[in-house]
Parts: sequence; structure tokens; C-alpha cells
Amino acid sequence: MANPVKKLSYEEVSEGDEAPVVSHALTRTDLVAYAGASGDLNPMHTDEVAAKQAGLPSVFGHGMFSMGLLGRALTDWAGVGNLAEYRVRFTKQTWPGEVLSTRIVVTGKGEEDGRKLIRADVELLNQEGEAKVSGSAAVVAG
Amino acid sequence: MPVQREDVVGKPIAAAKVHFERGPLSAFAAAVTDDNPIYRNLDAARAAGFDQIPAPPTFTFAASSRGTFAEDQPPDPTGGRNYMEEVMASLMAEGGLVLHGEQEFTYHKPVQAGDVLRKDSKIIDLYEKESKGRKMTFLVMETVFSDDAGEPVVTERFNLIHRK
Repeated sequence: MANPVKKLSYEEVSEGDEAPVVSHALTRTDLVAYAGASGDLNPMHTDEVAAKQAGLPSVFGHGMFSMGLLGRALTDWAGVGNLAEYRVRFTKQTWPGEVLSTRIVVTGKGEEDGRKLIRADVELLNQEGEAKVSGSAAVVAG
Repeated sequence: MPVQREDVVGKPIAAAKVHFERGPLSAFAAAVTDDNPIYRNLDAARAAGFDQIPAPPTFTFAASSRGTFAEDQPPDPTGGRNYMEEVMASLMAEGGLVLHGEQEFTYHKPVQAGDVLRKDSKIIDLYEKESKGRKMTFLVMETVFSDDAGEPVVTERFNLIHRK
């Protein structure tokens, strides 16, 4: 690679630090766009008529859309190409009209396999603070 | 459980050759609201240290639907029995819901436009838990994307939950 990939400064990051928040108001158009880009055509995410027939109040978001949005907040913070590990649990469904916000909190740092890793807890919350996705990530710092 | 853990753990469920093309990578970044120019402009990607447009972090999960070409696929590794389909069919026969419970990525090397990677998926766990009096079954699959040298590039774990 020609230039070094932009990295967080290992020395300057401390436990308890929070990454900049990314907020996004979820729309049905987002779900259609994600369905097309990912190939996940489950009608529960894109077909309001089918979702209501299945007893749901409306279509709901792909879990992997939520993970992608949270992944964007991670790479905005730590630089594209620096993720080492990223895992989540999908705890609640997301619904159009909700405002989803990321929360990334540093939980520790350490050297592993010659890499300077920063570990963080990650969450995606709605406007009422309900966690939709929660998990953890490790990023490589410089 | 009609299908036993020891019968399915370690069983391959799919193999594919997956092409990572710039257009689908950029479209995926846009779909997860990521407006970083690294995913759109080769000059920006190069300035950030990449040779080509890189893949967003969760792209591999969707990649096979966008980059599997019929003419260069590896043979079916299941030997004619897809245990994931068998497990899912036996669970669905009991009714209830199947949910994507957990997802995990371990990144070994960057994925970039132009890469052609081999994808191998297998079952790594099957177990049951009781939650609020309801039986929950967990099926865990691991997918490894590897390069021509056989080195892992991305490892995914995918956890499906069946809730009665």
C-alpha cells in the first residue's frame, strides 16, 4: 500500500472515550436500498402489505442494515481498514420513523500479536434509548 | 431435537468463489449511509492507503449475492446433504420464528475491489436453551473467505435462533 491507512493514536485514546455519534432517521427507502444492495429480499423488510398480513405493524429494518450503520460509525472514527473484530447481538427490531444513533465507548486497549488494539462496546439505540444492536469491536491503532 | 449436534457440527454447507467488484462495493456503502469518499473515488482510496476501493466492514455478508459467477464455482462440498437446510426444515416444522441472533466478523486482511476470494461455510454449533419457558435453538455457522494462498481474509460467524 502506498500510504499508511489513517489510524487512531494509541496513546491518545483512553478507556471511557466515546466515538462521534452517527444518527440516522430510518425510512422505508433505506430498507429498499439495503435490500437491493445486499440481495436480502425478505418481504418483511420491503413489502408493507406482506408485513401487515404477517401481523407486523409495518416493515422492519434488516439487522445487517443496523450493523452496517454502526460499522460506518466505527470506520468514521477508527479509519477504514482498521477493524480487527466486530460482533453484535440483534436485540430488537428497528422500525421506519425511528431515529437510530450509534454509541461506541472505549473499554480498554492492549497489544496483541504485535498490534495495538483498542477495544470498544458498540450499540445502536433509538430515540428513546432502546438498544437495537449491541456488541463489541476491536480496532488497530497506530 | 431430531437432528443431533454431533451429526452436524463441522459439516460444510456451502462453498463459492466470490468476485468483489467496485460497483457493488460502492452501492453497499451508500446503502448503509456511508458517504466516505474512500468507497466512491479511487483517488481518495489511494490517498488513504488502499490500492483499490475497499469493502465496507459488513460487505462480505452480502458479497456472494453480488459476486458469485456461475462459470467458476467450486463443486458442492455437502456431498448431497445440506445439514443447515435439514436443521432449519426440522425446526420450522415445529412452527415458531427464525431470527438472525448474532453476527461476528474477524478481519485478517483488507478486502478490495478486484479481489476474488473463496468462501467456505460450515456448521460449528447447535444447541438449545430455555428462555421464559420457551425452547430456543441456536445454530451457529462459520464462513471463511480466503485468498489464493489459502490464507484467511475475513471470518464470519452467523448465529440463527429458532424460537418456539
